[in-house]
Amino acid sequence: MKKPITIGRIFAYVLMILFALLTIVPLLWMFLSAFKPHAMIVRQPLLPPMTLYLENFRLAWTQGHLGIYFANSIVYAMTSTIFTVVLAISSGYALSKFSYPSGKFIYALYTLGLLITVHSVIVPLFIMETKLGIANTRFGVILPYIAFGLPFEVFLATTYVKGIPDAMQESAIIDGATFLEVFVKIIIPVATPIISTMFIYTFLGNWNEFILVLTLTSELAIRSLPVGINSFAGGMSRDYGLQFAALVIGTIPMIIFYLIFKDKIAQGFAAGSTKE
Amino acid sequence: MKMNRFLSLVLVLLLLLPGLLLASGTKEAEKDGMIELSVYHYLDQTDKTTAPNFQHLVDVFESENPNIKLNFEYGYGESFHDKLQTMAMSGQLPDIILLYPGERTSQVTSAGLVKDLRPYLAGHESEFADMAMQAQGDNGEIWELPEDISITSIMYTNNKLLKNLGLSFPKTYDELIAQGAVIRNAGLIPISIANKDAWPMQSCLAGMLVERTCGMSWWNDVLAGNASYADPEFVYALDIIKDLQNQEMLSPGTNQLAYGQGLDDFVNERAVYFIDGGWTVNNMVGELTDEQKTYVSLESFPDIANQKGKSMSVSATAGQGFGMNANLTDEEAAAAWKWIWFYSGPEGSAIRQQYGRLPAYNLAEPEQADPMIKKLITFAGQVPMGYVMDSVIAAEPIGTFNINLQNMMFGTMTPEEVAKHLEDMVVALGR
Amino acid sequence: MTYTQQKHMSYWILVLPGILVFIAIIMFPVIYSFLLSFTNWNGYGKPSYAGLENYKTILIDPVFLHSLRNNLLIIAVSVFGQIPLGFLLAYLLHRKVVRHGNFYQTMIFLPITISPVVVALLWNQIFSSSGMIVALIRSVTQNPQYVIKIFEDPEFAIMPILFVLLWMHTGTYMIIYYANLQKMTPSVLEAAQIDGASEAQMLGRIILPSMIATIATTAIFAISGSLKAFDLIYAMTGGGPAHFTEVIAIYMYVNTFKYYKYGFGSATSIIIVLLAVGLILILQSISKKFERRYE
Repeated sequence: MKKPITIGRIFAYVLMILFALLTIVPLLWMFLSAFKPHAMIVRQPLLPPMTLYLENFRLAWTQGHLGIYFANSIVYAMTSTIFTVVLAISSGYALSKFSYPSGKFIYALYTLGLLITVHSVIVPLFIMETKLGIANTRFGVILPYIAFGLPFEVFLATTYVKGIPDAMQESAIIDGATFLEVFVKIIIPVATPIISTMFIYTFLGNWNEFILVLTLTSELAIRSLPVGINSFAGGMSRDYGLQFAALVIGTIPMIIFYLIFKDKIAQGFAAGSTKE
Repeated sequence: MKMNRFLSLVLVLLLLLPGLLLASGTKEAEKDGMIELSVYHYLDQTDKTTAPNFQHLVDVFESENPNIKLNFEYGYGESFHDKLQTMAMSGQLPDIILLYPGERTSQVTSAGLVKDLRPYLAGHESEFADMAMQAQGDNGEIWELPEDISITSIMYTNNKLLKNLGLSFPKTYDELIAQGAVIRNAGLIPISIANKDAWPMQSCLAGMLVERTCGMSWWNDVLAGNASYADPEFVYALDIIKDLQNQEMLSPGTNQLAYGQGLDDFVNERAVYFIDGGWTVNNMVGELTDEQKTYVSLESFPDIANQKGKSMSVSATAGQGFGMNANLTDEEAAAAWKWIWFYSGPEGSAIRQQYGRLPAYNLAEPEQADPMIKKLITFAGQVPMGYVMDSVIAAEPIGTFNINLQNMMFGTMTPEEVAKHLEDMVVALGR
Repeated sequence: MTYTQQKHMSYWILVLPGILVFIAIIMFPVIYSFLLSFTNWNGYGKPSYAGLENYKTILIDPVFLHSLRNNLLIIAVSVFGQIPLGFLLAYLLHRKVVRHGNFYQTMIFLPITISPVVVALLWNQIFSSSGMIVALIRSVTQNPQYVIKIFEDPEFAIMPILFVLLWMHTGTYMIIYYANLQKMTPSVLEAAQIDGASEAQMLGRIILPSMIATIATTAIFAISGSLKAFDLIYAMTGGGPAHFTEVIAIYMYVNTFKYYKYGFGSATSIIIVLLAVGLILILQSISKKFERRYE
């Protein structure tokens, strides 16, 4: 099928290509620069690498302790994401289908949570965690990850579950099912699209989180990837090659992750963002 | 679909790999009679020069003191200070902490969270440079044992470029300005300095200029509250910075350049002069070629008109060093002191001197050292030293002053306004 | 157990674990910092009561006002830039105006998966006066002194950040709208097409009205996200040069963590929350009006 060339279509192509280039060029540049020694990046920033120079990656991985960080990142992102999603979907069900007055209040609290910046709670949070003795532990990192993930995920879950027809729940209740059974047998299966979106979105956020893990941990053994990358990219590190290699190590897994799950992300968003 | 399956496989492999690598690591066994101490240190772990150097010091110490185990945590840049604050506020200060002599960590030292080191140091005071033994607390306390003397305003000079242009190092400020056009016409930067982070202009230039325009007696007066930052001689120092900017003497877009760029331009011979602290010698050792090291010299900013201070003067401060938590037991404190004394005392200083530092501990000039290090040591022995602004003025006024210097260069504030603002803030906070 | 008891119990089982974690980790510290905002506290010793002093100081501080202006610009870019652009892209993809739509969709959304720290570093390498663009211009114009002057202008220094934000977040909105467009029942559009409605008419009369609720929701996220903006800007410019690119979150951070003014910093966080609540309430009343008009 051939479509006629119109001004609209030309405009559409220009826009699309522009956006695509804006993404591809910097990423490609980062990727190629990671294979160049520092001196060459400084002298010829635009030239592609002439040889396969892997030293940057080796140094970044060993000096930056990226191996340990990488493993920790996975633990943090995985665990906290699972908890966030489970808590959010159950709250979503309770807040949308039970119509208790306290539900409105709780929902409002979560909405308020959307507006809180990490920095405004980090000092009291650290004081609290040290008093409880959980600062500098994996648990002490995961707990705030869950808490900061909740507001947005509860919002997504609530709007989605709200859209599930009441009739499904009612007929099951009449048949003698308890509400918890309804939750497990009806709500969760129906809500699978939003659950996968929530999962992916939370995972991405947690993977990239920096300030909480930096402040709440002090042992190298329990820190995560962004802390490692930031020590290259954060300021005065003058070796651009190393910087780029670290960035590539931090970025590539997420790009692959995204390419696998992108259809799921899209589906869930359709479900989650409609009001009523 | 096929693509997806392939990508999934790649992802799974990526996720499993580090776990496997970790699993192969061994766990260290705990030994009895060991004293474990936590140490918080300022270090860029990814720096190819400083990180291995520091590790070497730790290794030497631990092999000499097998019963002391140091557990290091490193912070870097702003996050070092953020973390330090949070730890101090929650009463979780580590056993040994890197502290600064001036105002930068005064929130920790003035709160009585660290021990006075004078009892430990007794008898060794004369072995350090006088500057390093100045009182750090109100009652003469020494909170940390300074590791280095930091000269913050060295004018590194590329004499080859200078010669090629038919120039020589200027004696006066006017001569320097006159060189500007020649240097720019050759496509070069007269003075390389990168001020995106806002502190370099203050730390590496302003402090030194204040000593030149005002003299040390004024400096001491203003710190005691007997003079004002709004005085015309202080404004004169700011006028010079403004003039350097107006005359296009500084790196183009200096306020957009990240700190390391200043050195980059100098090492790649795109700049004739480069103003930075003595700590940069550390990087130069590794980054300048042997040939470059023969024609790069360390100089002082030239004389200015109506100079009240001394010719050749630089701004300098006794640098940071380790201090210890006030809550340590006697046994722990003795172990902590061993490290502190090792690091800033004769042994560690000798090692650090080899790496291009300027230890606060008095050492004989090393026979075997990089030419740049020898130049730094010689330079330090020749120049009169004045104050570094951020070590004598509190964090908020100096932070605002740094930013106001940028405002002044952009023309959004006048030198008089910047000076007045600093005076007002210092008065409001109490000197 | 009666039905009501059972329902009641299920409700709390479902809702309690989440809200407890949330209250313990977030609301508790927020209340703490709310109380702190009426004091002067430097982190040690007893806070001294300061009444509304902190709030008064902040609201007349030119640096705060400039930061607020920058935040409002960021909101403007999200609401009037990212959202319409995201919608336009989604619409073009939905109507299959371009071939290989899937590829473009992937590329436009990709930036959102990359950490802001990485994004900042990447674009800094491109924009800075030692970066790609300047290097290019310098070699073309043969002027080694060239710098991009607008980055040193108090009014325009924020421009590159706005641009990067636009690039980074447009994809999110595009995905949301695209997904929602695909949910629309095609029969409505087909019927309209048969009736001879033009592309513009269909867009204006059918598609847009049905999307208002979605757009309003995304606008809420845009506003709250814009007021919290920190990571990217801090990593790109740290608020500089001079305070030109500062935003409220950076203002708060600097005062709290650099100048140790915890009470003052807390007051700033409270102002961020109040601003967001206010803006969102305004937005909701506007969107209600629109929805009513189309009903």
